[in-house]
Amino acid sequence: MKKPAMRSKKIADCFLTYAILVVVSMVFLFPILWLVLSCFSASGSIYSFNGFFPTEYSFDSFKTLFTDTVMYNYISWFGYTLLVAVVSSVIGTLLVILTAFTISSFQFSGRKFLMKGALVLGMFPSFMGMIAVYLLMTQFGFINSHIGLALIYAGGAPMGYLVQKGFFDTIPNSIYEAARIDGASNLHIFCKITLPLSKPIIVYTLLTQFAWPWSDFVLPKLLLKDRDLWTVAVGLMSLPETEFARFAAGSVFIAVPIVILYFFLSKYMINGLSAGAVKE
Amino acid sequence: MKKLVAMIIVLILAVSLCVSLVACEKEKGIVIHVLENDTAKKEGYLDVLLAAFNDKYKDQNVTAVDANMDEYSDLEKDGPYGFGPDVLYQANDILMKYVEGKHILPINIQQLDCYKQVPQNAWDAYKATVDGKTVYCGVPVNVQQPLLYYRKDMLPANWQTEYDKNSNGIPDMVEFWTEMYAYSKNIREQDSSKFGFALNLTNEYFNSGFLFSYGAYVFGDNNTNDKDIGMNVGNAKLGGKIIWDLAGIMDLKCADDSFTNSRTTMLAQGTIFANICTPDITSQFLKELAAEYKKQGLSEAEAVKKANENLVITTLPKLPKDGDITVRQDVTDESLWIAQKTMGGINGYGISSYAKDREWSLKFVEFATSAEMIAKRQEMLGVVPARADVVALSDNEATKITFSNLDDGTLVVMPSISSVRTIWSPISSCFKTIATDGCKDKKFTINDIQSELDKMVQNIKNQLTILQ
Amino acid sequence: MDKTVKKQNIFVKTGNFFKKKFADIKAFFKRAGRETYASMALMGMGQILNGQYIKGLVFFLLEAAFVAYFATVGVADFIGFFTLGTVKGDAWLGIEGDDSVIMLLRGIVAWFAIAILVVLYFANLKDANKYAEIKGLKAMPSFKDDLTTLLNKNFYKVALILPIVGVLVFNVFPIVFMILIAFTNYGTVVPPELVDWSVKDSFGKLVALGELSQTFFKILGWNLLWAVVSTFANYFLGLGLALLYNKKCVKGKAIWRAFPILAYAVPGFITLLAFKFMFSNGGPINNMIVSNGGQIVDFLGVNSKWMARGIGFFVNAWLSVPSIMLLATGILTNINGDLYEAAKIDGANKLVQFRKITLPFVIFSTTPVLISQFIGNFNNFGVFYFLRSGMVSDGYVAASDTDLLINWLYRLSIDNNYYAVGAAISLIIFIITSVLSLIVYVRSSSYKKEDTFR
Repeated sequence: MKKPAMRSKKIADCFLTYAILVVVSMVFLFPILWLVLSCFSASGSIYSFNGFFPTEYSFDSFKTLFTDTVMYNYISWFGYTLLVAVVSSVIGTLLVILTAFTISSFQFSGRKFLMKGALVLGMFPSFMGMIAVYLLMTQFGFINSHIGLALIYAGGAPMGYLVQKGFFDTIPNSIYEAARIDGASNLHIFCKITLPLSKPIIVYTLLTQFAWPWSDFVLPKLLLKDRDLWTVAVGLMSLPETEFARFAAGSVFIAVPIVILYFFLSKYMINGLSAGAVKE
Repeated sequence: MKKLVAMIIVLILAVSLCVSLVACEKEKGIVIHVLENDTAKKEGYLDVLLAAFNDKYKDQNVTAVDANMDEYSDLEKDGPYGFGPDVLYQANDILMKYVEGKHILPINIQQLDCYKQVPQNAWDAYKATVDGKTVYCGVPVNVQQPLLYYRKDMLPANWQTEYDKNSNGIPDMVEFWTEMYAYSKNIREQDSSKFGFALNLTNEYFNSGFLFSYGAYVFGDNNTNDKDIGMNVGNAKLGGKIIWDLAGIMDLKCADDSFTNSRTTMLAQGTIFANICTPDITSQFLKELAAEYKKQGLSEAEAVKKANENLVITTLPKLPKDGDITVRQDVTDESLWIAQKTMGGINGYGISSYAKDREWSLKFVEFATSAEMIAKRQEMLGVVPARADVVALSDNEATKITFSNLDDGTLVVMPSISSVRTIWSPISSCFKTIATDGCKDKKFTINDIQSELDKMVQNIKNQLTILQ
Repeated sequence: MDKTVKKQNIFVKTGNFFKKKFADIKAFFKRAGRETYASMALMGMGQILNGQYIKGLVFFLLEAAFVAYFATVGVADFIGFFTLGTVKGDAWLGIEGDDSVIMLLRGIVAWFAIAILVVLYFANLKDANKYAEIKGLKAMPSFKDDLTTLLNKNFYKVALILPIVGVLVFNVFPIVFMILIAFTNYGTVVPPELVDWSVKDSFGKLVALGELSQTFFKILGWNLLWAVVSTFANYFLGLGLALLYNKKCVKGKAIWRAFPILAYAVPGFITLLAFKFMFSNGGPINNMIVSNGGQIVDFLGVNSKWMARGIGFFVNAWLSVPSIMLLATGILTNINGDLYEAAKIDGANKLVQFRKITLPFVIFSTTPVLISQFIGNFNNFGVFYFLRSGMVSDGYVAASDTDLLINWLYRLSIDNNYYAVGAAISLIIFIITSVLSLIVYVRSSSYKKEDTFR
């Protein structure tokens, strides 16, 4: 008597789960699908759409995106964004991981102060400081400089150390203690034990740091004056709204590498988290 | 994997280094950085201008180049640190906000070749009083005024009998707002997916004219006194009522950017019959219309020709004196009508105070405002020149209308004082409220409209108080 | 680790603190030998007398560098901080003049330099004193020994130096700058006019202009509501989604998970613009409604306060749920499987397992996420900037009824150049929010009991 009831309950539960999954997937997919389809719109304007989707399809938007570079030099923007993203993600990740590791595994005076300080500083509306950042950069001669831009991104990155610290907090102390008994120095512990263990969180940090310059437009707009030196986000934002198809094409094109990266690494991020950890 | 990543990083760093080294290469001689607007650049006029200038002065060790910046770059933020352009082209409100901080130079306009050709009204847009002296800080290039765009081939077949009561050969609906209203209403009733007249009614620039026509103004003392805001005075509410009425013959698309973004497509596809726009968009209208004709099977040349024939650009229709556009009135009785005032702007060149070579910058401006270049500009961009001699040579009707409107006060030039930046979003929000009610709830009385205008003026005043 | 905090009167506490410090200083001078006094006179001298030559040289060179800085620009910058310029520039005549804002900036640098010098100076004294005391008793550590300590016991100092410098330059410095701006009349006057120290132009205006403070409180209320609701909603949606994907009966997890990841990977401003188009009056959603015989819905219009806010919540969830889902999934796989086995043996059912094992673990490990989400949402600039900007609502000054404080500040300071007022407002918000979040943070279990799951 009991078993069939439980089984049907299970089936119902499963059915419900799948129903929710389908709905959720639709919600996430739909705007993206719309964006992808609109970049293949023949007319270029979204207002010639028939309901949700374009009436005619063509590759024209992509063609103009890469060939019509007098006003909107997409190729050059793409290259510069890539440069900024790589530099800032490498330096930024290093800084974040160092901060999170130190705060997580050292007890020192001023530690709690630093933690509270980071929290409080994060509450300050960031662009209010942007005037100061701009003036600072004019003094350093970092206007129109992508390295300057990347340094700002990387320099501010340690403020977001909390997620990484949360990860380090779950690495058992016993591992470190065992190593210390063996006479390993803290630098050694960091390089040889912590880093290999924290691949997933490093990948996560690299990715988030990498993705940010692709979507920020306030700071690069302020610092990069020359149109050809812009990043993709600034450039796309400067497109008039009548050129939506081109905007969509540019967006999809930058989204593709990021999406691929995520798909490759998300598996790694999710499954790798517990891989090397020594269980107590 | 690690090696690969490291290699990629090194490669990118190396490339960037090379790029920055190349960028650092010293420019030789005197270089004038010119910031033009996007349209001029896109349509190729900037290249023509620069080439002509460089050709004329090729022996003088001077070159003019594109500043290649965002057209709305803030000179106040860039100039003092050495990143601004030397010569910049902008509308008078934007250019003149730099005068207070002396970021643009005063120009001795009497010595310019175009001085006599540009009407005083246009010069006044660049007039300012600094340190007790009257100075002019810009050189007018063209006059911007909203104009009516409509498609001749969409007129009803019987317009000559039904819609030309004053028998002057001009369709009444493009001549009188009451007729436009009636005609649009008719279209909507037959097919709710089509529109007669359609406009983004939240646009502060295109719609302020309705208020101006009934006595409103932005700032007192000829737009110089920001203590006196006049957007709600006189019979301004009648203008507000017209916006409200017009919303009734459109749908909610008039209460956000939808019509602005889609105007060219919609006009080309015949979804709308008429729209208000500025001449710099003309080329886009023509392009889309020609593309549409081509789709219908015409050859390229035929399509372009047909588009040029059918797209008519003309002055805005007349308004009824009593402010009621919903009732058709006798179009033959001149005394019932008033010309519609519109907000307009004077676009022109200014010279940055941080220009490396002021004399050559001035020479460039002089060159760019010569009759020859202004005529070229009009030809390539379809804009209305500010020079009388160029206008006289032109066979374009719209050009002549706008130019004469500048003289008779139908065109109200936007204020040139820096407080002007506070007016736009309150005006637009006010129009948005009126338009939303006009096509959805339809609850507003004339008093409600007056109180919306009052709120708008209060909003502007509030923003101004923060500054004082 | 876990201390019992005695509730003591704060005045007594501070009193005791200063008493103790004073006693420390007295004791310090009593013990101080000639090495300490040498270091007092010239940094590094004490160390050299102690026989630690390299360290002494480093201290000495540092002092020399600071002296050089102050001699060349430091002193002038420091004075400039107070005057904010005396010569007015005139670009027409080519007079360069003083740029007050830059002078403020350089003045702050001078202050920072002084602070660093003071810290170094005292470190130098302490160091000289410490080693003078043990001289002769123990072997003096060589410079190499010092370096080794830095990589081991004091590794945290080395590790933190770069992050701290980065944060100081790109976060703390701009914030200090903006806080100081709140005490000037920057905005009422802008360079080349000379800016001056003034309170009446910023805070004074906030008080004097009733509408401004009304707007402030209205927006603050909505901002808090927004931050709390969207943080919790997104958090539980993300967690729920992670649990859903982790269910045993779900086949093809990677494929299902791909949809939110897709959403996550597309840069935010693109989806925000797409959403704006979709919800606009002529946009696809309205097109659909109309072609099905409906009326256009004014999703983001002037009168659609709560509908627009609702769309804001939805769009924000769309943007941030995937990242929380990803993190939660990672954390879920990190739970020690033995715990579940043990629970099963004890006869605990699924629900109890979830309540007793999953939830505490997840909440513990994701509290930081929750806090950073809260901060992010509180200062969420993008959502309403893209969806509904450029509007002024009834009863608001230069803001719409969906604007968050950060949007309002943007309009005040970037669009309209009301820098001082903007800075004053952000200072007030800053104080309120940081106190609130500090209280929450300090009470959270992940702050109090960091080692629970070690």
